[in-house]
Amino acid sequence: MDLGARKLYLGYLIPGVAKTGRQSGDGMEQSGEHRIPADRATVWRSLNDPAVLARCIDGCQSMERLADNRFAATVKARIGPVRATFDVALTLARMRPPESYVLEAEVKGKAAGFGKGSAEVALADAGDGATLLSYRVVGRVGGKLAQIGARLINGAARKMADDFFSAFHEAVDPARSRTPATNPP
Amino acid sequence: MNPFNYHKPSSLAAAVALHRDAEDPAYLSGGHTLLPTMTQRLAAPSDLIDLEGLTELTGIAAQGSVLSIGAFTRHAEVAASSEVRGALPALADLAEGVGDAQVRNRGTMGGSLANSDPAADYPAAALALNAVIRTDRREIAADDYFRGLFETALAEDEVITRIDFAVPSRAAYEKFPNPASRYATVGVMVADFRGAVRVGITGAGPCACRAPAFEAALSARLAPASLDDAELPAIDFNSDLHASAEYRAHLVRVMAQRATARIAAGTD
Repeated sequence: MDLGARKLYLGYLIPGVAKTGRQSGDGMEQSGEHRIPADRATVWRSLNDPAVLARCIDGCQSMERLADNRFAATVKARIGPVRATFDVALTLARMRPPESYVLEAEVKGKAAGFGKGSAEVALADAGDGATLLSYRVVGRVGGKLAQIGARLINGAARKMADDFFSAFHEAVDPARSRTPATNPP
Repeated sequence: MNPFNYHKPSSLAAAVALHRDAEDPAYLSGGHTLLPTMTQRLAAPSDLIDLEGLTELTGIAAQGSVLSIGAFTRHAEVAASSEVRGALPALADLAEGVGDAQVRNRGTMGGSLANSDPAADYPAAALALNAVIRTDRREIAADDYFRGLFETALAEDEVITRIDFAVPSRAAYEKFPNPASRYATVGVMVADFRGAVRVGITGAGPCACRAPAFEAALSARLAPASLDDAELPAIDFNSDLHASAEYRAHLVRVMAQRATARIAAGTD
């Protein structure tokens, strides 16, 4: 079979934590909002809790704290036929408690390439003790992921961002059902 | 490619049992997505369970208003089948346009539907032709089957055995193929069931979907002009280096109109 041509269209994804990109030089971007029925201090605490973050990353197999604001995670990404394990270095930067931070992720796949992305997360009071979480994710991939990942990287990355923040929403208030993200699948 | 154990079970029950007992298994059908993924080391299953030769997954039968096709039927067999040509020529045409000769001679209908690639052709047909997807344990209506990007209603170890298509009075499939892969940038099947029209779309969003406003407009009058102002389905359109979201949205209407024109001209 014509593996050369086929390869190009096999491209999918890549992992990460709610972030990844499209082809090199052409980054992916995704934003959304969640109204979470918990006060800002509670949401902020959860955003800084590695156990909560680990639960919200689909396929997260381990999460280790390296320093106050740095974590190392292992993530097994599963999208379509792809099942690849990635090492993810997470850094919490530009902390302004309890208002905003930037979650930076660097992704290294053993054979699959690498990616880099960040999520700007902001919290605002939404009345009735609820908090409005808004996020903007940008990212980019390189290596093999970028070579073969042209097709659909945006879709996969958007889905991962949606899934992460939806899971976070549930994690902070499991009593409430999931609120659709702004970009439904 | 990483090493793996290869199994060729002789029954469907044995295949499912192998899957249950293996560490990180994958079913192998035509292998035209899974094997390239493995050679890229983007997947490394511990065990491949080959579904070829299972009698439960083979055979094509036209029975009245239903065309039943075994999941292991290869695209080239669908294209060449006299049963399919007779009952559902639009489906044979679709199969003839999948990928290239190598893909058509290896790839299977069940494999394509289980993978649910957003740009695969068969999902549009499954929706437009109101298919019932039969598995080793249940039946799933096509309307309940496609869940998202590469996501279906199938359980991890579930195997599609047959696909039963409702036979329409007329149908046509039109796609805008990627020139290299011939994947559908956008593909649309229009099927007329005695005045009740169903429209299945692939390639446009995360997974195949129907187009309710198109269906209503075409059920009222089966003509391309009926779609001039019909509302586009609510799709989170894909955008990549082959086509922007706006362009895909445009193609959905154009492909639907071309399929409608073919039906209306009576060539299908």
